[in-house]
Amino acid sequence: MKTIIFNPFERYTENKLLFFGVLFTLIGSYLGYVFEARFDGVLDLHFPGVPTHFKPVIDNLINIVSLFLVLFFLGKYINPKTRIIDILTSVLISRFPFYLLTFINYQNFSADLGERILASIDTKNLQNGVNIAPIDMVVMILIAGITMLFLVWFVILLFNGFKIATNSRGTKNNLLFAGAIILAEIISKIILTLIN
Amino acid sequence: MNPKLPINCPSCEKALSVSQLSCGNCNTTVSGNYILPLLLQIPEEEQNFILQFFLSSGSLKEMAVQMGKSYPTVRNKLDDIIEKINQLKSENK
Repeated sequence: MKTIIFNPFERYTENKLLFFGVLFTLIGSYLGYVFEARFDGVLDLHFPGVPTHFKPVIDNLINIVSLFLVLFFLGKYINPKTRIIDILTSVLISRFPFYLLTFINYQNFSADLGERILASIDTKNLQNGVNIAPIDMVVMILIAGITMLFLVWFVILLFNGFKIATNSRGTKNNLLFAGAIILAEIISKIILTLIN
Repeated sequence: MNPKLPINCPSCEKALSVSQLSCGNCNTTVSGNYILPLLLQIPEEEQNFILQFFLSSGSLKEMAVQMGKSYPTVRNKLDDIIEKINQLKSENK
């Protein structure tokens, strides 16, 4: 069970991983449409509070391509035997936690919460302080905690997939991997800003 | 049960060498100082992996199916053993 959740790349064939990776991407994009989410960056998920239509599909494509290209070139640098399919399946499968996270905006729950919190801040007179309802505060902290856990899950999945795809070891390679994620985030952000 | 061939000294953990061989039929013994062949210097699990690789005609894909592991996992294991053997080779020179 632990292997399936954190490291399916160790056991399953590339065909199975590719099938489920594509399936997750399609379902995730649909969930993005249903729950009005934007995957506006490799490490981002936002609920703008307005219908997002087909934008989650484009977001996902850009995120997947950005992450894939950066990790593939790094993989080839670490180990010339690195295969395209192994990096691609790592990227596709690792994004699963982001798709699950869209459920926190069920019936616009997260977007409404964000609006209520923003409305409770008196921007004209900050000296009045913030009057957030205690229940909203608790829910916000809970959502932040869940989001962090899912983000960690995403990084663990991607790290394990990349490690198996490249046979990467050592601190230097781990730092390069971290740098690659940040670079992919920057690239995806730039592209998404340009096309929106 | 076949006893495992010890490859490292239980006292100082350095590699062991063969100092005596005997014939099970006529009890002739040969003494000397022989270094263990490279393949015997790696753990039994890795020796079995190499044997499996040989028996599946060098097909990592077939091995992956037999072991219930993914292709890159099996390839990484082979790469690690190759690295280890290369290291032993340079140490034995």
